[in-house]
Amino acid sequence: MNIVHNKNNLIFLLCSIGLIVLPHFRNLPAAISAFFYLLLGWRFIGIWKQNWLPGKPGIFLLSVCGLALLYSQYQGMLGRDAGTRLFIAALALKLFEIRSERDLYLITYLAFIVAASQFLYEQSLLMAAYILFVCCVLLATLISINSNKPQTGAALKTAFTIIVQALPMAVVLFILFPRIEAPRWMLFNERHQAKSGLSDSMEPGSITSLGMSDELVFRVKFTGALPPPAQRYWRGPVLSRTDGKHWTQAANMEFRQLDKPVFKGLSYQYTLLMEPQDKKWVFALDMPAEYSLPLSRNANYQLITSAYPDKRVEYKITSYTQYNTGYITHAEYEDATQLPGKPSGKIKQLVSQLHGFDGTPDIFIKNLLNHFRTQNFHYTLTPPLMEEDPIESFLFKTRYGFCSHYAAAFVYLMRTAHIPARVVTGYQGGELNKIGGFLEIRQADAHAWAEVWLKNRGWTRVDSTAAVAPERVERNINMERFVSGNAFSLAPTSNTAQEVFNWLKQARQLWGNVDYNWQRWVINYDNRNQARFLSSLGIPDIKTMIYWMIVITALLTLVLSWFLLHQKQKNTDRALRIYNRFCKKISNRGLLRGSGEGAKDFAERIKIKFPESKGDIDQITEIFIKLHYGKNATSDDLKALSKYVALFKM
Amino acid sequence: MTLKERFRLSRFYRGEKATDKPVILNHRRIFILPTHRGFNFAILIALILLIAFVYNNNLAYLLAFLLASIFFISILHSYKSLAGLILEKGQSKRVFAGEAVGFKVNISNPLDIERYNLQITLQDSKGLTIKAQNKACMTLYSSTQRRGWHTAGTVTISSTYPLGLFRAWSPVQFNFKELVYPKPSKLELPFPENSSSETLQGFRQKGADDFYGLREYQSSDSIKQIHWKTFAKGQGVFSKVYSGESSTEIWLNYGHTPGHDTEQRLSQLCRWVLDAESIGVRYGFSLPGFELSPDNSLSHTKKCLEALALF
Amino acid sequence: MQNDIRDLLYSANRIILGKPYKIRLALCCLLARGHLLIEDIPGVGKTTLAHTLAKLLGLNYQRIQFTSDILPADILGTSVFDAKNHEFKFHPGPIFNQMVLADEINRATPKAQSALLEAMEEQHVTIEGVTYPLPNPFFVIATQNPSHQIGTFPLPESQLDRFLMRIELGYPDHEAERQLLKGQNRHKLIQSLEVKLPSDHLLSMQQSVTEVYVSNALLDYCQAIISFTRTSPDYHYGLSPRAGLALLNAAKAWAFMDQRDAVLPEDIQAVLAAVAGHRLRSGDNDSEAIVAPILAKVAVL
Repeated sequence: MNIVHNKNNLIFLLCSIGLIVLPHFRNLPAAISAFFYLLLGWRFIGIWKQNWLPGKPGIFLLSVCGLALLYSQYQGMLGRDAGTRLFIAALALKLFEIRSERDLYLITYLAFIVAASQFLYEQSLLMAAYILFVCCVLLATLISINSNKPQTGAALKTAFTIIVQALPMAVVLFILFPRIEAPRWMLFNERHQAKSGLSDSMEPGSITSLGMSDELVFRVKFTGALPPPAQRYWRGPVLSRTDGKHWTQAANMEFRQLDKPVFKGLSYQYTLLMEPQDKKWVFALDMPAEYSLPLSRNANYQLITSAYPDKRVEYKITSYTQYNTGYITHAEYEDATQLPGKPSGKIKQLVSQLHGFDGTPDIFIKNLLNHFRTQNFHYTLTPPLMEEDPIESFLFKTRYGFCSHYAAAFVYLMRTAHIPARVVTGYQGGELNKIGGFLEIRQADAHAWAEVWLKNRGWTRVDSTAAVAPERVERNINMERFVSGNAFSLAPTSNTAQEVFNWLKQARQLWGNVDYNWQRWVINYDNRNQARFLSSLGIPDIKTMIYWMIVITALLTLVLSWFLLHQKQKNTDRALRIYNRFCKKISNRGLLRGSGEGAKDFAERIKIKFPESKGDIDQITEIFIKLHYGKNATSDDLKALSKYVALFKM
Repeated sequence: MTLKERFRLSRFYRGEKATDKPVILNHRRIFILPTHRGFNFAILIALILLIAFVYNNNLAYLLAFLLASIFFISILHSYKSLAGLILEKGQSKRVFAGEAVGFKVNISNPLDIERYNLQITLQDSKGLTIKAQNKACMTLYSSTQRRGWHTAGTVTISSTYPLGLFRAWSPVQFNFKELVYPKPSKLELPFPENSSSETLQGFRQKGADDFYGLREYQSSDSIKQIHWKTFAKGQGVFSKVYSGESSTEIWLNYGHTPGHDTEQRLSQLCRWVLDAESIGVRYGFSLPGFELSPDNSLSHTKKCLEALALF
Repeated sequence: MQNDIRDLLYSANRIILGKPYKIRLALCCLLARGHLLIEDIPGVGKTTLAHTLAKLLGLNYQRIQFTSDILPADILGTSVFDAKNHEFKFHPGPIFNQMVLADEINRATPKAQSALLEAMEEQHVTIEGVTYPLPNPFFVIATQNPSHQIGTFPLPESQLDRFLMRIELGYPDHEAERQLLKGQNRHKLIQSLEVKLPSDHLLSMQQSVTEVYVSNALLDYCQAIISFTRTSPDYHYGLSPRAGLALLNAAKAWAFMDQRDAVLPEDIQAVLAAVAGHRLRSGDNDSEAIVAPILAKVAVL
């Protein structure tokens, strides 16, 4: 049968192409996806109904349609989206022009390119596994084209085998192939799907419900000990200016660049893997001490990157949780005591009641926190709306709020008492992945706390939310999830439920760990990481890298060749194998069994030459004949044969 | 194999010295080169590598490396698709000039792997698949033009399995040699009148039908042989007996054969030999320097045809 | 039972001197329910062998001398009109004996030959629509002069296939010849023989032969031999499936005679020349030489 019109081949090919374009659904305009799958379906039907397929004018018309479609969704000539669309449209049109084996190959090759383009959109482990699977199907298509009678199962199996054999070499190439960053002119401006994380302003009163996104923001792996949960504050933007409702960053933050805080206590070294972001903030453990380019620390002790934040980047940072920032500058003081107007009488009364005006700041802070704790304040993620005078409404009316409410109220009250204070946003806590030993910080871990400037101690962190909901901070429980997800917050009622819960949790952690390492070691393996990793292995430069690449590839080839090509004729019969050992022993003494010589004849012949071993030879031959030709041989016979042959000496 | 022979270029397409023995395909006999599809695959890899480079995309890199490794590994698989096969020369049958000689080649696969889509070529290609530990026998035809010994060229066995990126082939030369008889003339000339032989009687028309006599019917006699006349007369069942098969002899003589040139005469003689054999006439045969006394048997015919072929 | 075989062979060897292997083959052929073709020049003891075996086995024995004018009816028998009873009465021919020696079978016309061979194959004779079964056991030993003698009709290949084995007796060696010349009249010796293996024993032995075990490994070897003959240029045509069955049956009988319950490759090798020789190359009567390439090239294990 003609290769091209072989139904099996076509079904295989069309299926693999359908599979390869499937994940592009999310990235393509619906019209192009529809165009593609319409044509694919048409071609599928065409396998059985040959005359339903379009003729030459029909194909021309379809091509025009395709071009028009591409033009209507015009995205520029070059670049990821344009390229992907072009390839997919071409793939769809090429399906109607399968005339020779060459066309089948062209389609398969196009499909490989579409598979590669998929990675420009998503690089998750699952996507990689999916593409690997589709590659297997594509290879099976090629195998099926090249074997006379295509058998789906056998072709898939062979394709899988080839991929498994190719993987080690691919990994070696991946590790050792020199990564060079593409020159600027080659980079296309692409809109990446950077995730919006924390915003640069805060407006606690206007939010009635906090988004509970489970999305990952960054992951931290400590080289040494982990800081205690209560110290896990990941510093983000500092909001010091307010109009009573909004809290925003100070305009100028460049003035304290050269000033260094004094660090005390334990140092924490860690690698921080940031997910793609739309802002240049890097959330270091409060407070970062050592870091390298492209990171820099601004006046608010927040780390800023100068590279594109829309890629996943890994940073090595050292932080200290005990520090003293020293003096306060004038501008800082200005910002940190700024109030939108005069505080109302009610607030003043509260401040004086808590000894804000007459006591030391320490006493006031203690009293205020105590006030939050004792005066029926509640932590909630769905606070009531407080459009007018949010702080006053929160303090005296609703008393329901989340971290932003508490931080804002705390800072406002501090400033009323002329104590410099500001709101710090960022993340708090993070879930410890026990398997991988790293912290996962998600959007839901977003937090806001207060910072107060105290004499001799500098800027000091005060988490007012902790007074109301200490679990949020100390026990490393993700409070938002704890409060919101009733199913999780309620203690599981039975043991099995507990088990399932634990099991789910473990599976989730395992997956988190796999994903973390995937991101760190595979996706993020760029020229810097490569240099770092390889130099740790003692491969300093590109020359040695290429040298090693060649050596290891050659070694792998040798190993593979050995496995592939040295498949000697397999003797499934074990008795025969053992008997051959016996023959080998005899051949060492110069007597070879001819290929046409039976065991019995051979025994007769060797007995003449070696009459002293007559008994052994007879015994071995007899057992072998029983095993090989007899009808009721047992496994004991096999053991006996093995033993006698092993003991046989001449 | 000397070093010089090892580097002879003709090994690539003609193979090693012709042999009668079974040939095991091994690294010395198997050659592998990429097909143009393989070259295109390399271009594909380069393209994906470029995409990976421009977008600094590690998974695209990984895909490119995977494809490159597959490309590389398929060389081994190509080799494996032929390695270990045993080709053995089989029989061939003598033919008349103008017909194609069928040379049989036995291909055995002693290993535990199936061999897909092998192409075996002498003049035309034939595809076959051999199961694990199995054998196949292929007849490869080589067309002939002239009488005499016909030798066939190189048998090439090749495979593009598994991916079609590489073609592994092995040229094997066997001592394919077979005698080609002259082409029998199409003219239906009567047998030559033989001046020398007085035993020659009318033949062909009479020879086989000479009525010899009657004998008692036997159960094994054909119903056609029954002499119905005597049966009708009530004298019993009798069978007709024929004879005369051995009573005629003719001589086929090169000198008395019409024809413009040697080939035409040989062709005519060939025709007569075949005719004489088929009607069962005993015939003698003579070529200049070669003579066979009258006989009628397959081996006699064979000897005559051999003489004609090699004249 | 095995003792019977030993006794029988011993007695036979005393009559036919220096040919133990051939006698063994002849008995093997009998046990495998096959027929035997002896191809040799006159006077080497073909008739003696047949007669001896018949005597030792207690089989009724009849010799048919084939001539060029022998008719099928001379072999199978005829219906003769019985004037008393006004009906045809069947007079069985010499073939209705347990052991038939068809002497110089190639002297007869093909028609007479095929009458015998058909009867051998079918195990019965059909004359004028009536079927007469042949006795059981039924064993034909046919002898054939080497085919190049004048005025003979050598058996065609298709007919040769009906014989399980073809053996050549050959001249006795020096020692045996001397004993023969010195010894008694063979004919008298045969007359004095006792039955060593009654026919009911023979029948049960024939049954036991079919029960000899054949392993897959042995079948592999058997098939390798068959396919070798089909593909090797040494042979113009290979062994037929029937020949394959014959080979296996003969090997089973050989193993049985060797007191084994499973067939070994050695059994196949022992009977190969006799079983396959005439099937592979009819013109050539040196069977050993014909099968030599098989024994040398086909791997046993």
